[in-house]
Amino acid sequence: MEKATGFMKALKCRECGREYPLTANHVCEFDFGPLEVVYDYDRIKIALTREVIQSRPKSMWRYRELLPIAHEPTVGREVGFTPLIKADRLARRFGIRELWIKNDTVNYPTLSFKDRVVSVALSRARELGFTTVACASTGNLANSVAANAAAAGLKAYVFIPSDLEQGKIVNSLVYGATVVAIKGHYDEVNRLCAEIAGKYQWAFVNVNMRPYYAEGSKSMGFEILEQSGWKIPKHTVVPMASGSLLTKIHKSYQEAAKLGLVSEAKYHIHGAQPTGCSPISVAQKAGLDFFKPVKPNTIAKSLAIGTPADGFYALKVMKETNGHADDVSDDLIRQGIKDLAECEGIFCETAGGVTVAVAKKLIASGRIPTNDSAVLCITGNGLKTLDAVVGHVGETREIRPSLREFEGLLEAENRSVNA
Amino acid sequence: MAAKTKAKSNATKGSGSQPRQARFWLMYPPKQITSPVIWELGHKFPVVTNVRQASVTDEIGIVCLELDGKRDDVKAAITWLEKQGIKVEPVEINVIES
Ligand SMILES: Cc1ncc(COP(=O)(O)O)c(C=O)c1O
Ligand SMILES: [Zn+2]
Repeated sequence: MEKATGFMKALKCRECGREYPLTANHVCEFDFGPLEVVYDYDRIKIALTREVIQSRPKSMWRYRELLPIAHEPTVGREVGFTPLIKADRLARRFGIRELWIKNDTVNYPTLSFKDRVVSVALSRARELGFTTVACASTGNLANSVAANAAAAGLKAYVFIPSDLEQGKIVNSLVYGATVVAIKGHYDEVNRLCAEIAGKYQWAFVNVNMRPYYAEGSKSMGFEILEQSGWKIPKHTVVPMASGSLLTKIHKSYQEAAKLGLVSEAKYHIHGAQPTGCSPISVAQKAGLDFFKPVKPNTIAKSLAIGTPADGFYALKVMKETNGHADDVSDDLIRQGIKDLAECEGIFCETAGGVTVAVAKKLIASGRIPTNDSAVLCITGNGLKTLDAVVGHVGETREIRPSLREFEGLLEAENRSVNA
Repeated sequence: MAAKTKAKSNATKGSGSQPRQARFWLMYPPKQITSPVIWELGHKFPVVTNVRQASVTDEIGIVCLELDGKRDDVKAAITWLEKQGIKVEPVEINVIES
């Protein structure tokens, strides 16, 4: 029985420290604080060395002792280990010594970092005996739950607001998930989803499975460390919606240092938000340790969370690591997408545009010194948010089927380059 | 089909007149911080209120409130709170993610 929890010890309240058994539960009965998985680091230290990690297949599961499952993963075994790319051309454009792109635009199978959290949540859900999984989502999460559940033979319910774009719905429907479109204001829809999650004995990935789910984001951090030659990068720029990913990148660096996988070093975690939904960045810039809820209005839909559940903890991480937050307009987001595409050949979604544009801003303001090195977490693929950039990325040159016209066009182009 | 009928039978079980306990975070704007909103709520609606946590500054008031009552009464109480300019979030906060 003792082995049945793997390297996990308990769920623990982040507010009062009370411990709970490792079930599908996410909130402390006493103060409603969020629950978090605690591990047996003494045992992990013996089991998990650099050599062990490097001997395993290239997926996020090579760090499995630090992920909240009791047995081998059964869902999403191929997720993760996306490329970390040295972005010299982008670095030159932004005037900094060294930039690295952690490229989750090519994460498997649904092209966003959400496959990391979902594969953990579903693997754990299986261990706990669930056969039905669910989520409420406007995009990446829904796609990932639908796809991973299909591959694992789990029944999936996906709840969405009824005004969602067709393209995003197709990306969940195609996998055979039951997609429920709820009419109403965002807050009403949100409360109904909470009620449904409380009422049905399903694995609701970001509700009752949240403590396990959220831990999946750490894998992005572990991969960054390993791919940086087992070093903690001086600066990491992370997009923030709920703020969870940012806190988990920090946690991954801390755990790796504690286990001796990397040596302790000073580092800064910076947070990026769109100006149209920037509760965390506004609070950070004002030096506050709490945020005020906002109504989102931004093209970066994947970061449009007006009341971020982990906002408070994200602010704490930035304070502790001397990091900064900043936010950028829709136009700068599109420019960020173009900068990354033109310099590195990577087409990211709007959240990536936010991260790139905020990094540029932090470099220009000296928050990230130009003689340093920074890693940018690019979390989703540009094919998912085509609507946001259509009409903003240039135009085609049209000609008739005539060589003369084509050569005329080339000449005009050469003239404008030389001018 | 089986799942559909099951969901339906469960849904009738929990509709309007059934008791329900729900937990919410209330976020007060500055102008409401000094008013006795929860006292008023308890007098206007047949719901039991239970404050489980609170943090109040000049800028924002955050209260974690348990509401016990019939589902329809709880819903009406939430609508009234929202009319007072208070943001009402389930304890999970953002259940809808991107
Ligand atoms: C593409 C993308 N990037 C970043 C995030 C931010 O995640 P978090 O809620 O952990 O801050 C999300 C979340 O929904 C996302 O879809
Ligand atoms: Zn607690």
